[in-house]
Amino acid sequence: MKLAFIITVAAGLPLFGGDALTSEAPADTAPTNVNARYIIESVNVLGSETKALSKSLRGELKQVVGANLDSLRLQKLANRIKDELRVTKVKVHITKGAMPGHVLVNFEVAKKPVDLKVAKFLYDSKGGWSGEASATTRAAGNAFTLGLVSDDDASIARDTGFRARFERDNLGTDRLGFRFEFDDFHEMWNQATVSEDPSAIYRSLQTYTPEARVILCEPLEVDFGVRIARFRLSTPGATTESSNAVVSTLRYHQRWGSGEDVQDQELDASYSVDAAMRLLQTDADYTRQTTQMHYKIRRDRSRVEVTFMAGRTGGEAPLFDRFVLGNASMLRGWSKFELDPTGGSHVVYGSVGYSYRYYQVFYDTGAVWDRPQEREQKQSVGAGFKKEGFQLAVAFPVGASLSIPVFFAGMNF
Amino acid sequence: MRSIKAWWLFVAFLSGLALAMVAEDLILKHRDNRLEFSAPHTDILTGQPLARLRNAAEVPFVIKTTLWSGNKSHVFSSAVDRFIVSYDLWEQTFSVVKAAAPRKSVSHLTASAVRDWCVSQMSLDTTGLSGNEPLWARLEIRAEEPPRDGSPWGDSVNSAGISLPALIEIFGRPAGGQPHWTLDYPQFTLDSLRPTRGGS
Repeated sequence: MKLAFIITVAAGLPLFGGDALTSEAPADTAPTNVNARYIIESVNVLGSETKALSKSLRGELKQVVGANLDSLRLQKLANRIKDELRVTKVKVHITKGAMPGHVLVNFEVAKKPVDLKVAKFLYDSKGGWSGEASATTRAAGNAFTLGLVSDDDASIARDTGFRARFERDNLGTDRLGFRFEFDDFHEMWNQATVSEDPSAIYRSLQTYTPEARVILCEPLEVDFGVRIARFRLSTPGATTESSNAVVSTLRYHQRWGSGEDVQDQELDASYSVDAAMRLLQTDADYTRQTTQMHYKIRRDRSRVEVTFMAGRTGGEAPLFDRFVLGNASMLRGWSKFELDPTGGSHVVYGSVGYSYRYYQVFYDTGAVWDRPQEREQKQSVGAGFKKEGFQLAVAFPVGASLSIPVFFAGMNF
Repeated sequence: MRSIKAWWLFVAFLSGLALAMVAEDLILKHRDNRLEFSAPHTDILTGQPLARLRNAAEVPFVIKTTLWSGNKSHVFSSAVDRFIVSYDLWEQTFSVVKAAAPRKSVSHLTASAVRDWCVSQMSLDTTGLSGNEPLWARLEIRAEEPPRDGSPWGDSVNSAGISLPALIEIFGRPAGGQPHWTLDYPQFTLDSLRPTRGGS
């Protein structure tokens, strides 16, 4: 080898074996990756469902098939998958294809064995602290989640306890999934609620919710199941009551573009009906209908968000199934106890928000009522800072007798 | 007593062998007023860079050669360049593209041939040096981490071309987790290379 080295150097010949091909390419156009000449035979996303990706991203993944291998393009697609699925890592794995001159591309979505997350963390200057932390582990397509909750924001009472959930996205087919959730909460009540309706106060609440999810035709899906709720009333001598309902939700989710594009849009809409019936041995018959819509559009660094919600309850619903406005996400700036300390049977709510980079302003309006004569439109405005899950905001109730601003700080609320 | 002597002889032999191996890590040749480098015992295509290559990725290697004169206080000459290495999934051979002008490429290489070709491109001009002047030489090789945007060129290449300051700056950074090799050649003269190292 040493002799060959000396001879080849002396002769000015290529040094590295007879098969090595050397060239001087003055142009920068020549590909740097020798595999760029190979054709992509197929593309797969492993470790996640492709239906969780936006339509535009799925379209781009399809376009890659039949094209020449382009590492930069594939890495950008991996980054987009990572952003859309909100996972820690997406690895591009490339192997030889079945056909000569072709390659297979797998995007491998890395998931942690146990995913710890703060599902909600909030400080509200009127309501105090709320938080929810959970741990999720996945095995053989099943996800198990256990969470601790102390939430004084979402409903009329402070729910403190734990939440356990089992989910499987694929029951023989990607179109059918199953989920079972069990919540066990101890309740704490505001004095305003206790004074308004002491007979409706309960000390603990347990709910069991088995649900199936069917994808009718993408992006339309329906959830249906039952929710079995048992709650122990606070009044002396009261027994445990049941509120067992058939629950169903028709859901639409569509996304156009992604964070990598100049513009992207997202629309979530749903219509849900919960019906508590004697057939299910419930103590009170009622129905609850809710329509929600959330639309957001981003162009460059500007983002506009529009939210609408309307709901009505027919019959006597327990307090946990009544509508609430005046928290950290709806009609911000107002106190839910000032608007309706026991929640309402009817609600209408709308919100428009604009944000530029991390700065946001918003306008909320809505009404919550039981009887038509109680219906009164309320408004609030606010401004703040929002970066990914973190948010810091101040909201002012418009037209309130005592216009005290409410501060919010936290994550994912 | 006899056994102690034998033990020391064995240690001395091993030390000498190790020293000889270290000394042979960097080989210099002087030819036509150019100082040529080779590092036949340095495997640069191993570990993480090799895993990335076998996954059809490009791996940039930045190589720097330096020649000191005086009392090792003066950098007489230095060169830095980037080499983009890729591994042909079907032919199972390596290809290299030299980034700086004149841009060159070579294909169908083995792993050791990749190292030899890249290092051979890093010779230094010795015009102006006398044959008995004390000199020191160093060869540095650093594999770059994959950039977030996937570009094999990283920040050192933009529409205006390759930024040499950016390449030089790479060696100013701590290596961190990047695979890197630094090979020093002890004090020598150009005259000493000719008879002992087979240079012309």
